[in-house]
Parts: sequence; structure tokens; C-alpha cells
Amino acid sequence: MDGADGPARVRTGAVLDVGPLAGRPGIRARGEIGVSTRLSWENALTELSRRHSEVSYVELSGVRFVDVAGVTALAVTAMNLPEGRMVVERPPPQLPRLLDLFWPSLRRIEVTPR
Amino acid sequence: MSMTTTDGTFTHPALFYRSQDEYADRTVAFVREGLAAGEPVAVAVPGPNLELVRTGLGGDARDVTFLDMTDAGRNPGRIIPGVLRAFADAHVRVRVRIVGEPVWSGRSAAEYPACAQHEALINAAFAGRPATILCPYDETRLAPDVLADALVTHPTVIARGRERVSEAYDWQAVVARYNEALTRPPEAGVLAFGAGELPEVRRFAVGRAASLGLAGQRLQDAELAVAELTTNSVVHGGGGGTLAVWAEAGQVVCEVRDTGRLTDPLAGRRPPERGQIGGRGLLLVHYVADLVRVHTADDGTAVRFYLDV
Repeated sequence: MDGADGPARVRTGAVLDVGPLAGRPGIRARGEIGVSTRLSWENALTELSRRHSEVSYVELSGVRFVDVAGVTALAVTAMNLPEGRMVVERPPPQLPRLLDLFWPSLRRIEVTPR
Repeated sequence: MSMTTTDGTFTHPALFYRSQDEYADRTVAFVREGLAAGEPVAVAVPGPNLELVRTGLGGDARDVTFLDMTDAGRNPGRIIPGVLRAFADAHVRVRVRIVGEPVWSGRSAAEYPACAQHEALINAAFAGRPATILCPYDETRLAPDVLADALVTHPTVIARGRERVSEAYDWQAVVARYNEALTRPPEAGVLAFGAGELPEVRRFAVGRAASLGLAGQRLQDAELAVAELTTNSVVHGGGGGTLAVWAEAGQVVCEVRDTGRLTDPLAGRRPPERGQIGGRGLLLVHYVADLVRVHTADDGTAVRFYLDV
């Protein structure tokens, strides 16, 4: 029996690793943004908005998937920023699709594609 | 024909027409009446009928918003949020006037129940709102039971130039009647899921849908829609459910079943406020899909969406 793939491995759903960016204001994330990782994503966005001035970066090149609630949290955070903008770098394809569907004129968010 | 209402009430007549001339005469008169009253006017009907109205209006057409319903309203479930409410909400504090034709003779047997439910739900979505929505029905090409349903979903009907109250009006009856049980074909690929399997069930859907011919944006939309439906099952539908994927008449169908019950008939049909946190999951499914069908009962709910390959 191979222990690594056997019953000891518990399925916990999506995993998200999120933290501050090095050398720039903002956050980077890796993994999936969904119902089981929503809390850490939202906490990171709250922290981002607390430290925000002028430009904050959200580096998402390591994110495989983000759901509607995850993009909603990002959009609402951006809308509530007192000033400046948010630059979302290399997000998964769901993010521009959902911004386009639900917030087509949200100028606060600038997306740099993958 | 005079249906001008200047108070805050909602008016929702069906227009039974028998020829292109009659169609053009009635709809153009309806539009001109609105323009004369200073009302914003939109016409959302199938392409050829759109041209009839545009031609009939001549220069007045420039003051009217035109939408091809076979595109904007391909999925009947997105007409309320994406067409009707979108137009009405862009003109708050004034009465709006819309020609909306969601039922045409090419609608499939799978689409029609969603069309009838949509027509019924307009009455709930616009109750108390200052709007007039005129829904044309082609008397010569639509089936008798479709015309009979129109009498149940519209409080008034206009035929041969006369408007009368529909004695059969009872929109809830149509919502209930077309809440039809849905059967999965035996060849469908099925996977059960709980909270821990949401990424796996999404990957399963993408793999199946791709092998059935879905690609590009449509495949990404299928992944998003499956993610929203399965997440709903985990959060509101008893903690999990089953996903089935199969091909049907040139489309890929994804269906999620769980043990929850959908109690709000307008779920997924209300446009959210820009800053609203929740309430976009089912709306997303309606926006991206070519058709959505729902069956909900005490023992569970099935939501399936169709995407053209």
C-alpha cells in the first residue's frame, strides 16, 4: 500500500496560499479561490485595502480558478478604495470574464493578462 | 389601440398577430405612443420582426433601443435580468415601454417550458413597477397550447385590434406546470460530490465537456457555471449532490442535483446592485448558458444548463 495515496490522504477541497507581495504594495495568491478558501482570500483583500494608497497589486499567476464570489470580493474591495487603483496581474480567465459580465465599467481595476 | 398608462402600475399585454402587416401596424403604434409620451422604448424581438418595426418607424427608430431576441434572449432565463430589467433600471423614475417577443415558432421542446415560465415570472419581477411590456405571439405559426399559455401568463390580450382582460390569467399556474421532472439519459457521465470535491467535480465537468466538443470561452463558461451550481449545492442544497454531463442535439448539457428546494422563483433573475456581495451565482449560469431548465420539489432540485458546441 502506498501511504501517500491511501486512506490517510484527506480530501479538503481547494487550497489557497495568499500573502503580501515582496517589494511592492499588495498581495499574491496561489491555488484556487472558492467557497472553502473564501475566508483567507477576503481577509487578504481586507488587509490590502487597509494598507492601500494610490496603487495596490494583486498577483494571481499561480491561481488556477476563481469563482463568482471570489471576483465579487475583489470588485467590491476595489469599489470601496478611497482613491487610486488596483492592478490585477495575470489572473485566471474567469476573472476578466466575470468583471466584463458584472462590472463592465469598473475603472478601479486594471487587468494585465497572462 | 390605447394601452397608455401613466400611473405606476405594470401592464403586460399579449399581442396575437396573424400577418407581418398586422405585426408592424400594432407594434409601431405601440412604440409611437410611448415616444409621444416621452417614455424610453426598447424593442427586443427576433431579427426579421426587428426589421419590420425598424422600417415601420422610419426616422423615429433612432429614439428606440433595438435588440435581437434570438441572441439577447436565446436563454429565456436571462431575459428578465439581461434585457427587461437592464433597460428599465437604466431609466429609473420614468415609465418604460418594451416590445418583448420571447416565444417564436423555432423554439425547441426543451426551450419552451423555460419560455413559458419566463413569461409568467415577468409579472412577479415587474409587479408595482411603471412599465408596459407588450409580448407579440404569432397566431398562425405557434401551437394552440402555446397561445393558451399566453392567456394564462398575460393579464390582458390584444387580438384583432381589441384589448380584453384575460379570464385565464394565473401566472403561478404556468410556473408550476412547467416545473417538469427532468430525466438524465443513461449515457450521462455522473459524479457525486461534497464540499471536499468541488475542484474535482469541476475538473470532471471540464474533461467531459471538452471530450463532447466544447472549447474556448464556452468551455470556460461551463466550468464557471458548474462551479456555481455545485457550490450552491454545498452551501444551500444539503452539503453536496451529483453532477451529470452529456451531449444532446448539438449541445453539451451539465446538470447538478441536490436535496435542497428552490423556494424563490426569481432566483437568478434579479440584477444585483453593483456593490452587492452575493446573489450572482445562478445569474451567471443564466447569462452564459443557451438554456437553463430547473425542476424543484420537496425531495430535491435539478438545475441543468445547455451550451451549443
